[in-house]
Amino acid sequence: MTGRGPERIDYADIQGDILRAYGNDYERTSYMLAHIEHAPGGRAWLGSLLGQVTNAEQWTGPKPETTLNVALTYAGLQALGVPDSVLATFSDEFREGMAARSQILGDIGESAPARWEAPLGTDRAHLLVTINALTTELLEEKLKTFRAGVQEAEGVTIVHEQHAQLLAGVREHFGYADGFAQPAIAGVTPHRTLGGGVPEKEDKWRGLALGEFILGYEDEDSLVDPLHRPPDAPAEPLGRSGTYMIYRKLSQDVALFRKTLRDAARLYEDGDEEKLAAKVAGRWRNGTPLISSPDAPDPSFNPKDLRGNAFRYLDTDADGARCPLGAHIRRANPRDALGWKGLDDSGLLSYRHRIIRRGMPYGPPLPVEATDAGGGEDRVDRGLIFVCFNASISRQFEGIQTQWINDGNALHLGHDKDFLLGDSTTTDKMTIQGSPPFFLSPQPAFVTTRGGEYLFVPGHAALHFLAGAADRRAA
Amino acid sequence: MSNQAGQAYAFMAITPILEGEEKKLRAYLDGFTQETSPFAGLPATHFARWVILPDWVDDPSQPRQDHLGSEYLIFTSNFDGPLGSYLDELCRRPEAQEIWSHCVGAPKPATGHLLKAYLLHNHIDTGFFVAAYPDASVEKVRASLALRERLSAFAVRSQGMDPATLQSAFNAEFGG
Repeated sequence: MTGRGPERIDYADIQGDILRAYGNDYERTSYMLAHIEHAPGGRAWLGSLLGQVTNAEQWTGPKPETTLNVALTYAGLQALGVPDSVLATFSDEFREGMAARSQILGDIGESAPARWEAPLGTDRAHLLVTINALTTELLEEKLKTFRAGVQEAEGVTIVHEQHAQLLAGVREHFGYADGFAQPAIAGVTPHRTLGGGVPEKEDKWRGLALGEFILGYEDEDSLVDPLHRPPDAPAEPLGRSGTYMIYRKLSQDVALFRKTLRDAARLYEDGDEEKLAAKVAGRWRNGTPLISSPDAPDPSFNPKDLRGNAFRYLDTDADGARCPLGAHIRRANPRDALGWKGLDDSGLLSYRHRIIRRGMPYGPPLPVEATDAGGGEDRVDRGLIFVCFNASISRQFEGIQTQWINDGNALHLGHDKDFLLGDSTTTDKMTIQGSPPFFLSPQPAFVTTRGGEYLFVPGHAALHFLAGAADRRAA
Repeated sequence: MSNQAGQAYAFMAITPILEGEEKKLRAYLDGFTQETSPFAGLPATHFARWVILPDWVDDPSQPRQDHLGSEYLIFTSNFDGPLGSYLDELCRRPEAQEIWSHCVGAPKPATGHLLKAYLLHNHIDTGFFVAAYPDASVEKVRASLALRERLSAFAVRSQGMDPATLQSAFNAEFGG
């Protein structure tokens, strides 16, 4: 293509947990949100954390018992005293914040920012520390030291804590295996290329440019630019090795979801509730794709074996008879499904809208017995901490959320929205293609947004810059 | 040149804005909401807009700077033809009078057949125009969408009905 060698990737400068998932290795994750009252105090505290922030280099020994990573909201960058001229170089949507984008994201009604858990969505949310731990004991120990550090810091308070944990079998609360299909990045995760990359002609796939996920590197646009210009990024050194992070607390009403499936399945294929559950998601609950197994899950399916993820839609299922056109995974990552006027390179309409997902469930699972008896509302809050990383919030996360999840137009599905995540204030159905087709009635609100933030994840050099700004100014 | 695609018409007029009037005009346009849009009173409108063009974007690679002589107001509308009756209706709107009164050479008051003549005088022909629905009027598009929604709601509601019940429910809903 260009004959140039691959870019050197500075793994030591990129924070850990972006390119490689910690979550599935770590039993526990805690999200600690800090408010910074006082810029010098905040910078000093950030400086005290720097030694603990992981990077993206391969671990040589056993994995650390705990990991720590840092991200900041726009208000957080302001609170640390970042000058306006630098702040102006961040993307518009990041500067506006997630709450300001609620209308297009579908965060309305019960999910509206006015109902969010404080201080999410306000300018009091500043710095988010993500701590992973192998066990609950290790987490408690780590949190103790962390809290002591906050106590000592001047003008820093913890204003929100969110504790999350892996559920058995790496499932989310509705029972689906989750989080294993991720984008393939050229030169970084080549083992994911089949199924995780961009579908091309003759069954070929290729990895995405690193710049789609890490700022300061060439993205897919750079590849076709004769000058290989990298995409827009915040001013140096903040733009280098950083990325944008989306944090959403999504509460799940498991009892209502189970009841809805059960009621709907009465009219569907002799009450085949599991099949209906698979049609909604596009995968059976153990992760088997409907494309490769339309009639029953493959009991030996192993999500970690990435060969099982190497499917596309148009060759076998253009009309959605196996995997419905509006199934969750077909919406969130359409692969080749959107086509492009018969061109073989048919990932063209979807490959600029990929995200790296790092979600983690919170709250205890709802036992199956609880809903077998009917009802089952135990008033316990449970759900998913949805976390994802991308270089452009508006093109990637918001593109997926607004055009594919919360609307059906791009998929030729009218106003239909994603049955799991679409906003439920309007009366839209889900169509399961077949003869005859089956309609799921307008969806009740299984999933409610309880809060969220757009954050910036600086690279290591950028973190040192942020923590040291005070010294330079005093000098 | 094609101002028309099927029965849909693409109209564009460019008029210079009076010196010192651009801010007032911009503020007036900014004041509209979806509810108070003057286009709401012109039901034949598919898409329309007023755009203020303050100046050319400066290109530093050029030897000389190239500026516009004034700010310009661009008006474009795609609507169900014919042109004459659409402009008649547009030129009766009080908003049209207010808007074009900020432009050079507009009649005083900027309304009625004099405004229509002014717009036609400043009309710029369209080079190429594609209408999504060349044969369907706005009214027909709206009615079709409403019917589709009714049909879709009926399909969901009638799922699982036995054939006789389905038939009578269908007849009740769609008057067959």
